[in-house]
Formats: sequence, C-alpha cells, structure tokens
Amino acid sequence: MRRKGKKRILIAKPGLDGHDRGAKVVARALRNAGMEVIYMGLHQTPLQIVNTAIDEDVDAVGLSILSGAHKTIFPKIMVLLKEKGVSDMLVFGGGTIPKKDWEGLKKIGVGKIFTPGSDTQEIVDYLNEVIEG
Amino acid sequence: MSVLFNQDAIDEIEKNKDEWNRTYPHEKERDTVFETLSGIPVEPLYTPEHTADLDYLHDLGFPGKPPYVRGVHPTMYRGRTWTMRQLAGFGPAEETNRRYKLLLKEGATGINGIFDYPTLRGYDSTDPLAYADCGRGGVAIDTLEDMRILFDGIALDKVSSSLVTCQPVCNITVQSMYFANAKNRGVPLNKLIGTSQNDFLMETCMATAPGVLPPEASFKLSCDAIEYCARYAQRWNPISFAGYNYRETGCTADQEIAFVMANAIACCEELIGRGLDVDSFAPRLSFFLNCHNDFFEEIAKCRAARRIWYKIMDERFRAKNPRSKTFRFHVQTAGVALTAQQPLNNIARSAYHALAAVMGGAQSVHIDAYDEALCIPTELSALTALRSNQILQLETRVTQTIDPLGGSYFVESLTNELEKKIVTLLDEVDQLGGIVKVTETGWIHKKIADSSYEYQQAIETGKMPIVGVNCYRIEDEVLPIELFEVPETLQIQEERLNRVKKERNYLEVQRALDAISRCCDEDKNLMEVIVESVQAFVTEGEITSVLKSNYGTWNPPLF
Repeated sequence: MRRKGKKRILIAKPGLDGHDRGAKVVARALRNAGMEVIYMGLHQTPLQIVNTAIDEDVDAVGLSILSGAHKTIFPKIMVLLKEKGVSDMLVFGGGTIPKKDWEGLKKIGVGKIFTPGSDTQEIVDYLNEVIEG
Repeated sequence: MSVLFNQDAIDEIEKNKDEWNRTYPHEKERDTVFETLSGIPVEPLYTPEHTADLDYLHDLGFPGKPPYVRGVHPTMYRGRTWTMRQLAGFGPAEETNRRYKLLLKEGATGINGIFDYPTLRGYDSTDPLAYADCGRGGVAIDTLEDMRILFDGIALDKVSSSLVTCQPVCNITVQSMYFANAKNRGVPLNKLIGTSQNDFLMETCMATAPGVLPPEASFKLSCDAIEYCARYAQRWNPISFAGYNYRETGCTADQEIAFVMANAIACCEELIGRGLDVDSFAPRLSFFLNCHNDFFEEIAKCRAARRIWYKIMDERFRAKNPRSKTFRFHVQTAGVALTAQQPLNNIARSAYHALAAVMGGAQSVHIDAYDEALCIPTELSALTALRSNQILQLETRVTQTIDPLGGSYFVESLTNELEKKIVTLLDEVDQLGGIVKVTETGWIHKKIADSSYEYQQAIETGKMPIVGVNCYRIEDEVLPIELFEVPETLQIQEERLNRVKKERNYLEVQRALDAISRCCDEDKNLMEVIVESVQAFVTEGEITSVLKSNYGTWNPPLF
C-alpha cells in the first residue's frame, strides 16, 4: 500500500568503503523533512540494493559512494533495475564523484549527484521537485 | 604551592578586570556566538585570574616530566622534530611501493600505509563484495606475496612504518603478514619499528556495516596483537587509538579524547586481566588524533590529553615506567574540514591544522593533500602536502622553544575546561560499563550521529562559515586541478591471487586454517598462530571467514 504524500527513499552505501557520515546525515535530514527513509548502511551489493528498493516500493534510491567506484556501481544498479522491469525509480547519488563523470552517469539514467559541501536542503528540494507527491 | 601568581596580585588584577569589563562595549561585538567548536564559551579576554589556581609543578610540570602537559620528551622539537608521515596507498602493491619510495626520497621520515576497502574489511580482492573497491582508498593486500612487493627495497629495521590497519579483523592478518615478511627477510621482530592502528571501534562503530565481527571479538583481536608485541616486538606500537577517525565520523574534540581514553582503559584492563604487567605493554600504546578548524581548542585538547592520560596511568593503573604515562600521538589534519569546492584553499586549511598539531606537541604529523575531498592524492598534491610539512618544520621556527603557548591564560584555561569536559564524559562511559558495553548498546553510535548532524546543521544555517561552501562560493566553478585515477588493480590482484593459490601447498593451507579455528576455540592468542599461517600463503579472506564462523557476525545499530 502506498502512503499518500509521504515520499519513500532508500539510502544505501554500496561496496566496502566505510565513509558513512554523509549517508547518515542525509538520511536524518530527509527524515526530518517528513520523508520515509530506509537506511541500509554499508556493504550492500547492487543486487541487495535493487531488491530492497523493489520490496520496499521506494520512490528513489540514493547511493553514497566515496571510494571512486561510482563508474562500476551505478551502471550495475541501472542494468539490474531495467532487468527487473523498473523504469520509474529515481536513482541519485552523493559523495566524491567528480563532475567530469556526471555526464556519463546522466546518460545511463542517473539523477542528480551531490558532492561534498552540498546542503541537505538542496537534496530535500530536489526530491520534492522530481518525485511527484 | 607553586601557583602562578600570588593572591594579592590576583585580587588586584580582578579588580581592574571588573572595571575593564564595565567599560567593554559588548554591544559592539559581532553578531555571533563566541564558543569553541565543541561548545565551550570563549570570553573576550583571558587574564591571570583564569589560571590563578594552576599549580605549576603539579598541573603543568616540565617537558618530559609529569604530568607531561608541556610535552612528553625533555627536548621536544629541539631534540627531534616530528616525523613527517604522509599517508599513501592505492592500487596494487607495486604502485604504492613506488609512492612510498617517492615520499621517502623527497624527505618523508616514515611510512604511513593505507589499505584498500576490501583489505580493511578482511576481504580478498576477488570477493563478490569487493570487486568494485579493489585498489580504492588504499593498497590491495591479499597474501604475503603482496606484502613482500609492498615493502620491497625498504629497510624494515630503519624506516618506521605505520600500518593503517584500522580494523582488528584486518590488522590481525595484515600485521602478521608484515611480521612474517620481516622474518623472511631476516629482520628480527624486536628490531621492527612502526605502528598498527588496530582499533576495534573502527570495525564496530565508526563505519557501521552489517555482518562485522561482534564488539567483543573485535576487541579481543585488538588485544591479541598488543599482547603479541609485548612479547616479541617491543619496539612496535601495536595499537593507535584512532581518535582521528572518531572525529571524522562526527565526534567533537572532547568526545574524540574521551573515547580514545575509554578504549585505552578497556585494553589495559583486559591485558592486566590476561596476566600482563601494565608496564610491559603500556609504553607502546599510541594515539592518533585529528586537528580540526578550531585552532586553540585543538592545541588545548592535545595538552589536556597528556594530563588526563598521565593521571589514568598513574592513579588508576599504578604504572611505574614513565613511558607508560606519556600520551604519544600522531596527527592527521582534518579530512572532514576539506572542501571539494575551490580545492586549493585546502592547502591553507591543512597548514593551520598542522600548526595546531605542532603547538599541541604531536610526535608525528600527516598533512592532507588539497584534493582529498575529491579523490586520492595525485603525485603533485601528495608532494605539496609533504612540502607544507617541511615548510612548517624548517621555515617557521616554531620548533625553537617547547610548548610555546604554555602559560597563555587562554590556552591554559581552555586546557582545563577541556579536561573537565573529557573527564565527565569518560566517567559516563565508565558508569555505563565501559567502551565495549556502550558499543554493544549503541550508546556511542547515537552520540556520534547526533554530533555529526549538529555539525552539518551549523554549516547549513551559516552559523559555521566554511569558505567556498556556505560563503564566498564561486558559481559554476571549473575545477582547477587534475584528479587522480586509480590504476587498474583488480586484474593484477586476480592474476596474482590465482598464481599464489596454484603454487601454494593446499595441505599446509588447510592445516593453517584449522590451527586458527582451534585457537579461536581454545581462546588463545590468535596472532601467535596467524603470523605462522600467513607463511603458507593463506589469504586474508580465508582467515576472515574462519574468524567469522567462530565468532559470528554482528549488525551495529543504525542511527
């Protein structure tokens, strides 16, 4: 059952990188902004993330990556989503993802990337704008 | 009593201060809250009455004398300047070996080696969970063969090596590989100089991942390495309580120190419980701190830490060896304070952080590279960071006198305030049953998550200005620097691991893994067995699997 009006966001950190301060702060900020947040924490495989996203019927998946593995992880997630027939789920990202890689990520369907120094309000605004209420 | 001033003088000063206060135009102050980053109020002016109760000999002492507030060595930087230990590690072992050699050639005085994410978490490069992170954030180590290549051509008994094996699950194997490699090269273990990080909070609290070793098991591994070194490698620092990372995760300055102390207390209690004399291991307990944006608070923090540690070791553990009571620490400048925006500004930021470390009496210092909010350091940024360290050491002349800010009314007062705050928090941890307990219950996770959220709020509301982030931004900034690309690692590791596995004697491997498993059952010191096991080219992932099947896994609380 879909809860009317309340946005449901999955925040996860794929891979083995341990820098989770950002992901946690974002999860709390989204919660404080009235969204429902499922925080998966670290060490998630792309398949685990996609399965949870589908099971939990989320509106968006936010991936935090600070290891430099974004060019491996994002494509994998996008392919898995497609394979499972999901086409309307927003996938966005945060972390140390250089600008020069944004274009490539956009091409495969990834939404906005938030780098260190981003305001959490920007993320809230972005989700409110992109996800229909 | 050797108080700094006599009472009459203090009274006279206080009288004058009151008068000055009456005429001080408070309304002309800027509209801001004057306080330290951890929230200690800061007054407009500090005068002798702030330090009137200081008993010089008892509270400050002389360098190399209790309570070591003014420094742990009699000569401090007049004798030996701090070690310039620049963190390095990426890709396969041969690439990092080249970077180590470059830094040493350019004047670094110690190695500071970081390992990739799979290695830190105890996985082999080829593990399905690991493939995307292989060679990222540090160097990839799977077997003794990688360790051999990593330190090829570096004198293990001359160059001190800090192994940033943050998590005990990683340390127990990787430190064992370092030791086994030394044995193979004919270097006796008691000649080895260096440090391993080996902090159980790194595994259970700072990077909260599901399926890690339970706190008690992780803590045991950490203590095993300390015990092993106390017996066989007395010049090695087997633990470096990683306050740095606690801070990076969100702690305030007082939490950083309180939690390293609580961790160190737990280790002392455990090892004494195992029958060791406190002076057999305590001289080699070392600490790793952060130096962040609040210049004076960081200096005061380091000074307070020395006094607190002295009291703990002297009063609580009755240590006899003076070295057991000295708080020796490495500093890394705050990575979390770096900005991705206008990255060259980070050179200035990190230089201030490092200056605070040196004013605080650090034994060794790493200065962050300017690009660390974006990528791992390029050769240019790594070298620039080393040069910042050298400029501080050689050009600024801050090394000429010991503890130059000692006696400053402000710094002494802040040192006292921080001490009070830290001790209060430390008492709280004690009352809650100690550091292992507060980790199991999630109390510490919550504390840290709250602090980091407050910090972020302070930036977003503009209460805490960060140049380039919430003020003086450049819109549509074009990145003025080249970013580092990690060289292809997985393929190299995969090939090497396959070759090693093909060439090793499988019976020996099986015997080694059985021995580790038996050791877990019998609750004996695991490092004793693992130093031998890795000689059979058992992989890190194989050892981790045995540990996890014996100790089970744990999901830390998420906040």
